[in-house]
Amino acid sequence: MKTSKCFLAAIAAVGLAFGAAGAAKADNEHVLSVASMADFTGPYADIFPPIAAGRRAVFDWWNAEIGADLGVRIRIREYDHRYDAARVASMWPGIRSDLNPVLILGVGGPDVAALRERLPDDKVPMIMATAGYGYAWMSDPWIFNPRATYAHEAAAFLNWYKEDRSLDRPVKLGIISSEASPAYVDIARGMQKYAEDNPDVVELVETIWTAVQPDDLTAHVHRIVRRGAEVIQIQTNTAAVVAAKRALQAIGRPDVVIMTSSHNGLPMSGSALGGIDQLEGNYEAHGQALGTADPTVAREFYDMLVADYDLTAGWNVATIMGLNQGIVAVRAIEAAVAEYGAGNVTGEAIREMMFATEFDTAELFEILPTLNFTREAPFPVAGLSVNIATVKDGEYTLAELGYPVPILNPW
Amino acid sequence: MGEFLNYTVNGALIGLTYALVAMGFVVIYRASKVFNLAQGELVVLGGFIVWLMMIQLDLPLIIGLPIAFLCAGIFGFLIDRIFFSRMAGQSVFAMVMVTIGLMILLRGVVLVAFGAQVRQFPAVFPVFPVIWGDFLIPQAMLYGGVITVCVALGLAWFFNRTRAGLRMTAVAEDHQVAMSLGISVRRSVIIAWIMGSMLATLGAIIFLSNRSISFITSEIGLLALPVALLAGLESIAGLILAGILIGIVQGLAAGYLDPALGASVSSVLPFVIMLMILFIRPTGMFGWKTIERV
Repeated sequence: MKTSKCFLAAIAAVGLAFGAAGAAKADNEHVLSVASMADFTGPYADIFPPIAAGRRAVFDWWNAEIGADLGVRIRIREYDHRYDAARVASMWPGIRSDLNPVLILGVGGPDVAALRERLPDDKVPMIMATAGYGYAWMSDPWIFNPRATYAHEAAAFLNWYKEDRSLDRPVKLGIISSEASPAYVDIARGMQKYAEDNPDVVELVETIWTAVQPDDLTAHVHRIVRRGAEVIQIQTNTAAVVAAKRALQAIGRPDVVIMTSSHNGLPMSGSALGGIDQLEGNYEAHGQALGTADPTVAREFYDMLVADYDLTAGWNVATIMGLNQGIVAVRAIEAAVAEYGAGNVTGEAIREMMFATEFDTAELFEILPTLNFTREAPFPVAGLSVNIATVKDGEYTLAELGYPVPILNPW
Repeated sequence: MGEFLNYTVNGALIGLTYALVAMGFVVIYRASKVFNLAQGELVVLGGFIVWLMMIQLDLPLIIGLPIAFLCAGIFGFLIDRIFFSRMAGQSVFAMVMVTIGLMILLRGVVLVAFGAQVRQFPAVFPVFPVIWGDFLIPQAMLYGGVITVCVALGLAWFFNRTRAGLRMTAVAEDHQVAMSLGISVRRSVIIAWIMGSMLATLGAIIFLSNRSISFITSEIGLLALPVALLAGLESIAGLILAGILIGIVQGLAAGYLDPALGASVSSVLPFVIMLMILFIRPTGMFGWKTIERV
């Protein structure tokens, strides 16, 4: 009897000790909430699971290996807004009262369009994974893109293309875009402005406006090819790449180059075409690490997340978008903790750190180039570069690493 | 002149594809008085069944397509049995709300069953276009146009010359009168849903041949809407004319106005025409005018 009482007392003592330790830990741990916007049921539902998985894995890694020492834990919650600006606007007040986030991870054009006016009042910054937008190119930003605008990335590609082919004339360009989203319109407008300002680099043949799910594009593509287009810029979606490629195949001009972005890149479009080999000689250009098989620092980081943090998404552009967004977010939070203390991290503090911190490419695991944000624009206005991938002999492969992004005038 | 002809002919052919999708709206509306807002989702569902048969299961065209049409017919039957047979006697508003629910449900079903990825759609028609000098016609569109006209003629014959079709036409006139004549309204509605679902699958085959499909392909339903409303919701033959008209206007706008104005006028214009016609003639160009004795 006496033995069992002693045993119970010992258990109680141990329990109390653990409880007290847990309470002490909880007292020391500061939880920061991050709203993770997502599109699991809208036009980008095909790429969002790996993006979300990439984000989550980075936060898990940071919480375990860095946050634990700093006494900070980042809690993320996902909100599916279906790539719909109206839905973002209606969801945001609920997200604020429910989560009180210090940071938002954005999806794309709709959250930028819906929240850019509100965030300065709500004092919550938003970090994107995508390239930036001309309509959000304003000073004193609360929204941050780790990549320049889509037009910047396309302009860098065209400069590279001209250099690579040793052309002594401008590259003749056709654009396929859509008015279904403000971001898509912005992509075309940006390139139109660049072509206007740089007639020695680009000659814009025509912009074709299509639906999100385009009709047969054979006649349109035939028209711009007859007018001399040698490159077709498609930074909208995979369906448009498929429709354009089929049109080029139909008119017997597979030599005309299609340039895509990250979210509609070569592997995804190739899969929708029935094989990446169908995109032989076409390009993908964007300002983040490529999903090719080459051994890189970014790939090492990804492999570590797979091995230690249950990242199940494959090594592809979508997962890399999630990693790029996650890594910038945690480095900004880390800087804010160092500057203001773990208990004083607010949305404003994180935003200040976005301007004050140089995000070195090594600290970003070379997923992105070194980033220096200024109050001039939502993206770094200097020092950015693009990586270019192509399909060669049926293999998705690197064409150029770190080609500099030219300077563009706002539009 | 060559370009003008290109825009006109290609526009007309694309318009005929819209007319084919719009036939699904009309067939269902005639029998049940329900404007099926989920018609675009039926196109997606039919398209994914074709994808499943021909890409996933690798069945040859001659086997895959009939099975796909059979499955589409069964889906149409099930939709009626599960949702609309229970709604007999309910208001049109309630029925339309059910079609909105159906639209959301089918979108979810497609996402769960087939995923969100953009998938390769099989090449059902020859992939190389017909080219005469400057003149170019994609063969899928050409075959699509011919098939649409044939289907419209077939349906017109069915509704005006066959016993089952005449019963459905009577149901389309007035449910109560049809019932008083001993015609089974429920049976007509079932047939309409089966036909609507199969027409949606045919639309998917023509529209998507050799391209891609994902759940956002349901936008096709929206593109066909101006054709259905412009024709009037009862006229099959009217759809052909409305489709050609809308298609030509859209084609010419895409060829001349879009580049000139730097905007997608061609995607808005069909809806503007539809609204203008509806202001003048609310029943559409060929819709039935109802005269009621008070």
